[in-house]
Amino acid sequence: MTKEETVKLISSEGFEFVIDKKAAMVSQLLRNMLSSPGSFTETADGVVNFPDISTTILEKICQYFYWSLQFSSGKETEFHIEPELTLELMMAANYLDT
Amino acid sequence: MGGVCSRKRGNQVNEEGVRVGVNRRYCKNGSSKWLLGTPFFRTTSGCQPEGVSCPTLMELCIHKICQDIDKYISFSVLPRDISQQIFDELVRSHCLNDVSLEAFRECALEDICLGDYPGVNDSWIDAISSQGSSLLSVDLSGSDVTDSGLALLKSCSNLQALAFNYCDHISESGLRHLSGLANLSSLSFKRSDAVTADSMRAFSSLVNLHELDLERCSGIHGGFAHLKGLKKLKTLNIRYCKCITDSDMEALSEFTNLRELQVSCSSITDAGVAYLKGLQNLILLNLEGCQLSASCLDSISALVALSYLNLSRCGLSDHGFDKLSGLQNLKVLNLAFNNITDACLIHLKGLSNLETLNLDSCRIGDDGLANLAGLLLLKNLELSDTEVRSTGLRFLSGLLNLESINLSFTLVTDSGLKKLSGLSSLKSLNLDARQITDVGLAALTSLTGLSHLDLFGAQITDSGTQYLRCFKNLQSLEICGGGLTDAGVKNIKDLTSLTLLNLSQNCSLTDKTLELLSGLTALVSLNVSNSRITNGGLQHLKPLKNMRSLTLESCKVTATEIRKLQSTALPNLVSFRPE
Repeated sequence: MTKEETVKLISSEGFEFVIDKKAAMVSQLLRNMLSSPGSFTETADGVVNFPDISTTILEKICQYFYWSLQFSSGKETEFHIEPELTLELMMAANYLDT
Repeated sequence: MGGVCSRKRGNQVNEEGVRVGVNRRYCKNGSSKWLLGTPFFRTTSGCQPEGVSCPTLMELCIHKICQDIDKYISFSVLPRDISQQIFDELVRSHCLNDVSLEAFRECALEDICLGDYPGVNDSWIDAISSQGSSLLSVDLSGSDVTDSGLALLKSCSNLQALAFNYCDHISESGLRHLSGLANLSSLSFKRSDAVTADSMRAFSSLVNLHELDLERCSGIHGGFAHLKGLKKLKTLNIRYCKCITDSDMEALSEFTNLRELQVSCSSITDAGVAYLKGLQNLILLNLEGCQLSASCLDSISALVALSYLNLSRCGLSDHGFDKLSGLQNLKVLNLAFNNITDACLIHLKGLSNLETLNLDSCRIGDDGLANLAGLLLLKNLELSDTEVRSTGLRFLSGLLNLESINLSFTLVTDSGLKKLSGLSSLKSLNLDARQITDVGLAALTSLTGLSHLDLFGAQITDSGTQYLRCFKNLQSLEICGGGLTDAGVKNIKDLTSLTLLNLSQNCSLTDKTLELLSGLTALVSLNVSNSRITNGGLQHLKPLKNMRSLTLESCKVTATEIRKLQSTALPNLVSFRPE
């Protein structure tokens, strides 16, 4: 996997998630960032910082990205959400437009 | 059997439907619901995944919350638009109650649409009013809210829209709590005894009111005298207020900004209509069911901005219709159920902007239709129960914009139908008449855009059904003339766009028919009453997951078996017969 095909998402605690660019594009916000060359420094580096999103939530979001890709390709499984995460997850989902 | 055979239902003009195109809503979220009354068919999907489209994370979270709503104590940490989405979904899925509502306290919600929601009473209002100045619209129609509940809303000073339709526990003195809500632009109190000539004083300070709905209020005669200051009023609905008389129209003559006025089924006469002459901005006037005569047409002729006029069931004769020829902006004209003849239609000849004309049950014949030949923008033409024959249809063959024609209970025969074959915009065709047969249907195969075809009483046989294959876009189809067998249904089984299918009164249909129809998964309503269908055939309906209404009266089918089907396979079935 070459560097161009992945992006690095960094949580508020500094934890790094390296995921496929294709998965990150599930988020409308990241899609805009990654597909408009020159407009965001993130595009060049392939690194996006989320100072407001905790590691737990960011991990869940990365899981969702991959779940969504599977769902769209016909594998319709259930996506589990822990009740204690819902509110925080929603705020992140709202921000990421996903 | 009852409903199976009654045909004339739903022919009344729906004012709301007609007003599509007049821009009405100013509020943001889903407040239009209360304008439509109680929708029989609720939209289902919501945040449920539908088809292959993947649910968003937001939708998944909202769905999850609705499942375990009692685990949440407060949503106030969430941004307002997110809590609004949760709230709306809880309402839609009927998971909200007075306890879960507490979690929304001080969430700065903008819209609280609880019209016809079960169980709403005063105990809900405190949490609702805690939204404070954020709250823009509230619909508590059909609730048990009383005056004290109403009082709590006083603090929501930015309210723009309020609806308390059918709220029987609000009294006259409760209305005074509204008088401070000066930002109100829309207010609705359908069928309310609280609104009286006296209590309407409370509305006099609502100077930003654009829209007032007092439909079916029985005590409002004389009340408009208090509302003279409401110069911005644009829309007024006082349909079915028998108490409204000519003197009320005199008071209304001051509302010169009025765009839409609905006074149907009130007690006004020609003299009342005369007071309206000065309402030069009026675009919509609905006088259906008022007892009027020729002289009212003279008054109406002054309203040159009118684009919508409903004069059905007004007891009018041909006299006076020459006055209407000046209303060049008219797009919709409803003259149904009047004593008018071909002589009246001469005066409609020049109304070249007409898009909808309703002549249901008028004494119109072929000669009259000649006057319509030049109305090239005509989209909808209602000629049900008239004396129109086949020869008259030639006048319609040039109306290429026609999308809907109703020729039910006319004298039109098969031989005339080829005159319609070039009307390629046609989407809806009603040929519910006994003398129409397979031969007539054969002449219409070029109408491939048809989405609604009504052949209820026509004598269609199995051989005629082959022509239905041309109508691939059909969404509704009725063939109830008695001539169909299972063999004919074979030609219907591939019309996969069908949502409504009525094959009742075809006594030879068997369980085989249900088997053939099992692929029509879009079906929402199915009627095969008066046939040989048995309990054994019901299993074939299992794939029809969208089914909401199933009618199998006078068959060998029991309610118990339908209920079983409902609980195991048809979750959306809300209405069935036998029950």
